[in-house]
Amino acid sequence: MEFITKKPPIVRNSQRTYKRSMNLHFALIIIAIAAVVLKAFTSVPEFLAGEATYTALDQSFKVFLMLAVGAFTSVVIELFYSLSEGSTKKFDSYKGFVDPINTGLIIALLLPTVTPIYVLVLAVVVGVYAGKLVFGGYGYYIFNPALIGVLFANISFSAQLGVGDTPLKLLKRALNGETFNITNMTELFIGNYDALAIGTTSVILLAIIFVYLLVTRVIDIRISGTFLLTVLIMSFGIGFINFYMAGNMTGVINYVLINLVTGFTLFAAVFLISEPVSSPTSRETKMIYAVVVAVLMMLVRILGNETEGIVFAILFGNMITPFINRTVKRSDKKSFLKTSLILLFSVLFITISIGFILQAKLIGIYTFIGGIL
Amino acid sequence: MITEYREYLKPKKVYIPLTDIDSKIANVHVEEGDKILVGQIVAEKFNGKIKTPILSTVSGTVVGFIDKVDRYGKTVDHIIIENDLLDETVELLSFKDKFAVAQDRNFVHNVTTYSDNISTAQVRRVLKRLGIQKITVDGLHTDIIFNATIKHIVINAIFPNEPFISQDCEELISNAEAFADGISLLGIGSDAESMTVIVDKYMPAEVLESLGKAIVDKNIELVSVNVKKIKGWDYKVIQKLVNHKLSNNLLDDGVLYTSIHAALMVHNAIRQGIPVTNRHVAITGDALKVNAVYNVRVGTLFSELVEDLEGYQEIDKMNLNVGSFLTGIQLNTDDFVITQSVDAVNVSEYREIEEDVCIKCGDCNDICPAGILPQNIMDAELRSVNSRIVDLDTHLCVECGLCTYACPSKINVLEWVRRAKRRVG
Repeated sequence: MEFITKKPPIVRNSQRTYKRSMNLHFALIIIAIAAVVLKAFTSVPEFLAGEATYTALDQSFKVFLMLAVGAFTSVVIELFYSLSEGSTKKFDSYKGFVDPINTGLIIALLLPTVTPIYVLVLAVVVGVYAGKLVFGGYGYYIFNPALIGVLFANISFSAQLGVGDTPLKLLKRALNGETFNITNMTELFIGNYDALAIGTTSVILLAIIFVYLLVTRVIDIRISGTFLLTVLIMSFGIGFINFYMAGNMTGVINYVLINLVTGFTLFAAVFLISEPVSSPTSRETKMIYAVVVAVLMMLVRILGNETEGIVFAILFGNMITPFINRTVKRSDKKSFLKTSLILLFSVLFITISIGFILQAKLIGIYTFIGGIL
Repeated sequence: MITEYREYLKPKKVYIPLTDIDSKIANVHVEEGDKILVGQIVAEKFNGKIKTPILSTVSGTVVGFIDKVDRYGKTVDHIIIENDLLDETVELLSFKDKFAVAQDRNFVHNVTTYSDNISTAQVRRVLKRLGIQKITVDGLHTDIIFNATIKHIVINAIFPNEPFISQDCEELISNAEAFADGISLLGIGSDAESMTVIVDKYMPAEVLESLGKAIVDKNIELVSVNVKKIKGWDYKVIQKLVNHKLSNNLLDDGVLYTSIHAALMVHNAIRQGIPVTNRHVAITGDALKVNAVYNVRVGTLFSELVEDLEGYQEIDKMNLNVGSFLTGIQLNTDDFVITQSVDAVNVSEYREIEEDVCIKCGDCNDICPAGILPQNIMDAELRSVNSRIVDLDTHLCVECGLCTYACPSKINVLEWVRRAKRRVG
């Protein structure tokens, strides 16, 4: 009989780190299953349909294979790393497998159907090893490991990952003056179309999982909510300036909806941006981070070459996280209000600027000034 | 689970610590072999210029002096007094006579009504003479000292371990009048502008009713809070009163914050001249065979109480926590003495949960009542960046322990913040 002077943990607070990763795991598996099922009904892209043997069912199997290989590779790398460190105690229970599987699944879900398997394996190796393990594993990395893998694949193998016309690509062309109409909005919501990534299409399912993860406190409303709100405000403002002035109100609604429901927007809000380890820690900094990511994403979508900017945006957000953390010293009501107001005004300002830049009005003014000088 | 109410008022020997966590110098007035009475001053302890008498809680003979661990985990000198079980009391200054006169003149009032003809100086004199100073030490609670100006009196009627162990409601009901009188006496003693009692929203209706009836015409406010959610409600209530950021010691903000038992002790001391000889202690935990609320003589050894409770369960590793679970102290022995300031002791089996890594979720930053960022302070402390620790206003930490409670990885965040505080002084 002895008395131990170490302070015991209070278990009444039922929040646990492993419970949170478990909930995330559960959500990811549901999304993965949904992706496999959806691909069985999606029409095969034109450039693949030429090969007569390639059917929708094959496509579905390919997705399943990708998910399985992604998760498996991630687990194997972590296992080897643990072996080289000399202790595999972490893998005694299923808890140890949850986080590697999550990373692998996210990388697989963020790549298109046409991805060759070797590209996926390379992406997972780079993401898990260079993005996570070199920093010390779960809890210590500074960049979102899944996004590092995806970025590597997107940059190095862009030829192999080409896809057809996604709604966002159509949108970009529409802004440049081409006619644009999405024929079937229902298909868009269910996710029955070819997209840049296999896991990002089913909006309804993602919305349900968004609520589930909010309730279980895996993700933070102050990050994901601010992010979605900023995207909403910005897309509405830009759409308003560009479409409404031409007298096209339906165009504004379409623009907002497509910016919100297609691409990686909702997937990012649910799984990527609110990832706790690589995001800031206090209330104000979380909001600043979300706004920075949303603004960057919209900038890349509208002005950049890429149609999908979220990968760059989140990695940039991760990069400046230590700096954002340093800007806020306290979190009380006053600083909260101050931050919210500053953020709101900057979002409005950026929205209006981009809106006019797109209409080439500001660009015209700039060239005029340039002409004088 | 607490199942019994017990009394342990006749220990053979009592041990009285000469110093405590603040007062570190003591001046002993008795010698070995002296006969002493209840309420006699056996020593005086000093905290700077503040002198506090130490009273004997039994009558008997001084047997000797011994080194023992006190309730703060420090080894200090204790005086040993052998109890002769006679309970002879020294004549103490009290205001019961005045009270009797007031009753005689008003034949109408048979119920106890206390005269208000008592001055600030009289209250202070009695409290000083009887050494009623350190009653609650957990968390934000302050000592009862009237050196600085006090604007607000805040009395906490909620047990320190509230969602886990609740206040003894029977005691609250039966002593409601005395509690209310004690609070108003504290108000007289400190010339306070406002008096506030914090109660739990989920207390039984009878308790709230009797407390409400007792304080109704005494200019005392009742604030009810929801303690089911642990969120630092006392900090928020007090902050609303003083209307600015709280400092480490509430007395600097002009707030005297103490528990409701202190009010009862003040009432007993002033109206009846009884020094603090007994204390209500809740002794709980699954390592004990019986859990009980004790009315115990101050100075009793805790190990004697354990014997009275039929001993421990057969468990190898135990954890002994004195005071609140969030801010209490873990002792490595059960051979310590119940003093005025012990209100709860918990002995339970030691169950370790492995600490996970910090996932930087920010739950501690959200819950911190002082509005500082414990996670960032912990990070700075891990990297040993002094300027960053100063930058983050670490000195505002009141060590309430909520960050440790909220952490989903079960990291002892408070310990890191304490280290950071110590690092920058």
